[in-house]
Amino acid sequence: MSSRLGAFLGSSIGKKTLMSLTGLGLVVFLIAHLAGNLTLYADGTGETYAAYAQKLKDLGPGLWFMELGLAAMFVAHIALAFRTSMENREARKSRYRVRGTKGEANLPNSSMLITGTVVLVFLVIHLLDFRFSEGLAPPHADVLAPKVVDRLASFTGAAIYLIGGVAVLIHLGHAFRSALRTLGVHHPQYENLIKRTGTGLAVALGLGFVSFPVILFASPDNYGGRGAESAQVAPAEQEQAPASGSPTVPTAAPAREEG
Amino acid sequence: MIVANTALDSKCPSGPMEGRWDKHRFDLKLVNPANKRKFKVLVVGTGLAGASAAASLAELGYQVDVFCIHDSPRRAHSIAAQGGINAAKNYPNDGDSIQRLFYDTVKGGDFRARESNVYRLAQVSNTIIDQCVAQGVPFAREYGGLLDNRSFGGAQVSRTFYARGQTGQQLLLGAYQAMMRQVGSGKAKLYPRREMLDVVVVDGVARGVVVRNLVTGEIERHAGDAVLLCTGGYGNVYFLSTNAKKCNVTAAWRAHKRGAFFANPCFTQIHPTCIPVSGDYQSKLTLMSESLRNDGRVWVPKKGGDTRPASEIPEDERDYYLERRYPSFGNLVPRDVASRAAKAQADGGHGVGPTGMAVYLDFRDAIERDGEDVIRAKYGNLFQMYEKITADDPYKVPMRIYPAVHYTMGGLWVDYNLESTVPGLFVLGEANFSDHGANRLGASALMQGLADGYFVVPYTVGAHLAGRALPAVDTSHPAFAEVEGEVRSRIDRLLSIGGSSSVDSLHRQLGAIMWDHCGMARNAEGLKRAVDEVRALRARFWEDANVVGGAADLNDELEKAGRVADFMELAEVMILDALDREESCGGHFREEHQTEENEARRDDENYSYVAAWSCEGAGDPADLSWKLNKEPLTFEVVKPSTRSYK
Amino acid sequence: MIATNGKDTIGLTLNVWRQAGPDAEGAFETYHLNSVSTHMSFLEMLDVLNEQLLAEGREPVAFDHDCREGICGSCGVVLNGQAHGPDRDTTVCQLHMRRFHDGDTITIEPFRAEAFPVVKDLVVDRSAFDRIIGVGGFVSARTGAAPDANAIPVPKEEADLAMDAASCIGCGACVASCPNAAAMLFVSAKVSHLGRLPQGAPERDERVVAMVQAMDGEGFGNCTNVGECEAACPKGISVGNIARLNRDFVRATIRRR
Repeated sequence: MSSRLGAFLGSSIGKKTLMSLTGLGLVVFLIAHLAGNLTLYADGTGETYAAYAQKLKDLGPGLWFMELGLAAMFVAHIALAFRTSMENREARKSRYRVRGTKGEANLPNSSMLITGTVVLVFLVIHLLDFRFSEGLAPPHADVLAPKVVDRLASFTGAAIYLIGGVAVLIHLGHAFRSALRTLGVHHPQYENLIKRTGTGLAVALGLGFVSFPVILFASPDNYGGRGAESAQVAPAEQEQAPASGSPTVPTAAPAREEG
Repeated sequence: MIVANTALDSKCPSGPMEGRWDKHRFDLKLVNPANKRKFKVLVVGTGLAGASAAASLAELGYQVDVFCIHDSPRRAHSIAAQGGINAAKNYPNDGDSIQRLFYDTVKGGDFRARESNVYRLAQVSNTIIDQCVAQGVPFAREYGGLLDNRSFGGAQVSRTFYARGQTGQQLLLGAYQAMMRQVGSGKAKLYPRREMLDVVVVDGVARGVVVRNLVTGEIERHAGDAVLLCTGGYGNVYFLSTNAKKCNVTAAWRAHKRGAFFANPCFTQIHPTCIPVSGDYQSKLTLMSESLRNDGRVWVPKKGGDTRPASEIPEDERDYYLERRYPSFGNLVPRDVASRAAKAQADGGHGVGPTGMAVYLDFRDAIERDGEDVIRAKYGNLFQMYEKITADDPYKVPMRIYPAVHYTMGGLWVDYNLESTVPGLFVLGEANFSDHGANRLGASALMQGLADGYFVVPYTVGAHLAGRALPAVDTSHPAFAEVEGEVRSRIDRLLSIGGSSSVDSLHRQLGAIMWDHCGMARNAEGLKRAVDEVRALRARFWEDANVVGGAADLNDELEKAGRVADFMELAEVMILDALDREESCGGHFREEHQTEENEARRDDENYSYVAAWSCEGAGDPADLSWKLNKEPLTFEVVKPSTRSYK
Repeated sequence: MIATNGKDTIGLTLNVWRQAGPDAEGAFETYHLNSVSTHMSFLEMLDVLNEQLLAEGREPVAFDHDCREGICGSCGVVLNGQAHGPDRDTTVCQLHMRRFHDGDTITIEPFRAEAFPVVKDLVVDRSAFDRIIGVGGFVSARTGAAPDANAIPVPKEEADLAMDAASCIGCGACVASCPNAAAMLFVSAKVSHLGRLPQGAPERDERVVAMVQAMDGEGFGNCTNVGECEAACPKGISVGNIARLNRDFVRATIRRR
């Protein structure tokens, strides 16, 4: 069995199958992640968001387990992506002088490696920003929301998260349909449905993630932005930056004190 | 011309026709299974005949070396056959039988084929279909899942099996895959991009070939115990034909010059429905399936030199000449009749199109009658192909068609065992002359190629190997060195001509001579002139051809030069054969021998024979001559009658 | 023969890849053709170029070709980045010059893939395809051992789908047009053709595993489902066959003993 699995995973189709499975797993994760993140918009205080973060934290070892699984999917997906991309480059060392298409090549399906790499770089920054901001242990739930808002309210933060979101959008533009085809799903009657579902998914997830840097950069105060920032940086300056009476200020400050 | 009296033994068995092949197979000696691996068979060519023979022989346990001129054996010209393959299955329950297929083929060949061979062909036809289906050939099927048949080429029964318009492709892929299975398992060895340049005869028996590796230019010797030539027909002698560009006579011609007789070289088939020549750059002609004549009406303007567009020519100024001349068969007369009639119209100044060398094939009435959708469903892909090439829309304007060289019935003479006059040298498929007489019926070429390869030669090669003492011969034998030397000096000679005419231009000139004088209609005067012209052109070739490049790598010009040099010689014997045959039969129409209604007049009393030519003075191309050897044909079952399509 | 009139001729600039041999360095050379009849096929245009080169005492451009009616699979070059040129469902031998305009520049390159090494100029070695067929692209039906052709009915729809896949001409345009030089369309066409028929069913698992292994061994790339192969395929073979190949491969991995 193991040699059979080894042979399978060593084959081009095996590698692509595993990439598709992990890719789809990651899509499921992204849906859950976005759903969780959207709680930020639930109220102007970040309370729902904090509750959600706390719930995850309360999973304890369960969270570790999930995170390890997620990490394994990422690592496998990324490693296979680089491996197969290298093989693909090897398969055509001399390039065409004129690069043409008969209409099938497009931005998403021709830039999977590039968008994937961008997502990878973004992922590292993103993990350092939030997941590992307090070391290996998951960060405190109630500091997260202000952290997010503050990060995205800054120009660089917004830019990074905007680029990350767009990269996810483009990547997913090809990913879903491609994964299904690799897994053997193709039917003339359902091809259009699959195509639309994939595009819809990419747009929904992509826009969902892009919305955070856009909205939070434009109006951070509505979600506990500047005020929180000031509160964190220097509570003494609170009076200087009343943050237009943002209700997050009172909640954010104690949270920091707790931490 | 010298008429020799070499007795040609066809080795046909005697007795009742239906038992002959069984009896013969029983009489053939068998090779002990344990000994088969000691014999090596060299198969040259990987079309239907070659691939099926190589697969079958390797499966039997022989060592098989296979040579093909292309980069892949799958590209042999069998792949281009469109229509279908005949078999006497009688699945449609319309009265077909082995007897009927046999009868139709003998009659269709205008009584110039051997009855015993044709009967065997009809007998094995059914097994071919079984074999191909088992290999996964995706023949057309009915809704119940059973095989579909259609009527083809004017046959009165539906006996043609087909795979869309790509029957040749599918049959070839079946044989190719069977052969590659043997190559993959090491039982056969494949030598692609090799051109056979000579056959090596040791003690009177064919024992090897000399081939050129077309990529490296290396001249290779290969020794074996039998040599199979499956190298196709010689229609490209006309330069313009429906044959693929690489089709050539070289392998057969080299064998001919080593002693294999060439039979009925003047029997060429002209297909009536091809897309006409459009300019002097034209490199080949494209066939349109003759099924188009089921619904299309052939016509020309009544007034000679009428240059009006077809749509402006009123009905009463159109001459539907086939319907007029052959009221009962109309547009469905056989290929040779339809072709000659088109030529007569063009010669009479009634041809259409920019060259005047075309006639109309008009679907206006069929579209009016059945609607465009019905016509599209039947011929959509053909109409599309026509439009791609000509930029004319056949739904709106009539197609322009003209006959083109399509198939050669003549070829190396073989006996009932498919063995040539050189022992150990077998010839299969279109390369031999065997089963089609003076005219081949539609959907019979595929049948013959596969019959030869799958079901005839595996037995008869065994008899050669078991029945003859074959001393061990390897490539160090002096005969190999000698032949290789001749091959090399010929290549050197070609490369050192240093003339100024391109090989293609000389080939075009040869083609024009042959088309004008030895094409659809021939006469003594023209043929005699053609002999002189061909000889002069051949001499000019060796003085003025421009063969650039070297011998040590891929050199298309050198390859073409070698082939054209051989066509230049073949052309002469084709003309000699056409001159000798003072009758009209099948694809051979002598203008002196026709009825008052301009129909062919056959002469069974004097010409019921196979004309097998032997080559004399094989040294210099200038000193060639040929001797005629006759194999009399007797008809015991099908009594010769006159074909009439009135 | 007709003389081509001015209206029907165009002038072209050709950038053609010239490479003396497999190990030689290749480079583009530029040629000008002044009066190309628009009725010519693309290959006839190359014939004219070669006649011109011959007249100048230069070596003609080597290119593979044979039937010139789109079925043998010999021809195949990349024109301006498109395998077999701009039209769909068309081999380059069926492409006609009326598709081009006066003054056009056409860049002609060989099919590029490590698994298809260049032999000379525009000629490449596609024998990898034959080796893939040799390990499994067949039904092991011994000559003479076949049952009656109608013994096993095959549903018309399956037979038609098998025929769709079987119409592959092995030209290699799928590989040439694939951004990854993958051979999945070629392999999947054969796997589907034989796998769909009852005659091919007994070897279905062994076939797909052996052929994929051979494909990988030849150095083709991996499929990223871009779909350029289907667009470039002169026979319009569907990428649905690739999905089927993937399914079959997983199925075979699980089922095989």
